[in-house]
Amino acid sequence: MSLLFVVITVIVVALIFDFTNGFHDSANAMAGPIATGALKPRTAAIVLAGLVGAIVWNLLTWLLGLPSSSSHALFGGLIGAVMVGAGLASVNYSVIVSKVLLPAIVAPLVAGFAAAAATALAYRITKRTPSKHSESGFKYGQAFTASMVALAHGTSDGQKTMGVITLVLIVSGFQASGTGPQPWVVLAAGLAIGLGTYSGGWRIMRTLGKGIVEIETPQGAASGAATTATILASAHLGFGLSTTQVASGSILGSGLGRGATIRWGVARRMAVAWLLTLPGAAIVGGLSALLADHGVAGVIALLALLAVACTVIWRISRRNQITMDNVTDAADVVVLATVPPSDTYPNDPRLAAQAGRQKAKSKRKKYKSAA
Amino acid sequence: MKIDWAALGIVAIVSIVATLVFVALLSGGIRYISQATVAANQSHSSVGVRTVGYAFIGLAGLVVLFGIWLIVPQLH
Repeated sequence: MSLLFVVITVIVVALIFDFTNGFHDSANAMAGPIATGALKPRTAAIVLAGLVGAIVWNLLTWLLGLPSSSSHALFGGLIGAVMVGAGLASVNYSVIVSKVLLPAIVAPLVAGFAAAAATALAYRITKRTPSKHSESGFKYGQAFTASMVALAHGTSDGQKTMGVITLVLIVSGFQASGTGPQPWVVLAAGLAIGLGTYSGGWRIMRTLGKGIVEIETPQGAASGAATTATILASAHLGFGLSTTQVASGSILGSGLGRGATIRWGVARRMAVAWLLTLPGAAIVGGLSALLADHGVAGVIALLALLAVACTVIWRISRRNQITMDNVTDAADVVVLATVPPSDTYPNDPRLAAQAGRQKAKSKRKKYKSAA
Repeated sequence: MKIDWAALGIVAIVSIVATLVFVALLSGGIRYISQATVAANQSHSSVGVRTVGYAFIGLAGLVVLFGIWLIVPQLH
């Protein structure tokens, strides 16, 4: 009974993670940095704790508009949970370095270089082409490569959540070992990631699309091609990596290739978030494992805390909502508003309401001074 | 610790070459189709140039299809 409860909880929470992953846009194949053999009976609880760490970290970085890697958040969360739940020796550190850390450094550099060269090439080839023609031509190219990025993202990222759910189903004896993910798992994971991208992606898009460097259409087409090629090539050869990091690398590289001004401050903030993602999510995952280890009561307490954390973060994000209407109005994602919204987000739907309030206020003031 | 440098190198080369080939074909296509449009506006003959342009775009599409064929094991 209690095992079934934990399994169902893991499935639901894994789908929530998939949803926040859609917020982020990232990728990584579920590699095996964790030696699962030693912790079969408690795998479900530990996986749950790891997912909670990953979700909280995903939401925090999303709030700040930082495109950090959901894959690294998941790895970090799981590593932290395993360390606390099963001991330091259960983590395979060598695999973490060779399959997670090293590709995380190399891949964005490769994508950035490819994008820089491709952007320079695109501008060179179309140098004498009237800008009206090249702009509209590359606009189609950009739309196409963007959908290719989505394909690359979906092929590697949906699998991560499916992997977690299937792992838990197998170790709990609800599914025969050696079988693939159930169709409903595939469907649910796809739906969750799609819904997440649809509802929360705008915040990250502002940073990637505007924050680092202004993107022209040839640049967009080139960086999309670089991102797709790098992710698909490395996923095919067994490196799982983060779509987020690769895409950021290509956008930065394409800016360099065009000779545009790069806002290095934003790039630096992103790099710091990447560095913090593994340890940050690991700490949250480890703390969650302390709770999840205490049977059903612990799991319920953990879920309650997760719900509170999600609600608080969501409420703070409402202060500066970013939607399809205002995503390109500004380059920065403001978290704790000190700037009046009119300066940052001219199309904010709440402005009309606020203007109404201000009118009422000034009227009141007039009354006062008259009295 | 075993790090597969060869695989990392292959990833790097394949990514860079594939990106450059695709973007070069796309840009070439845009360039020639634009040239044909400009020529047509000045009522010059433009069929040949336009065909070359569309051939470039078609090749770019083939590169993508080949890439997809490579990574989907069910197609082999």
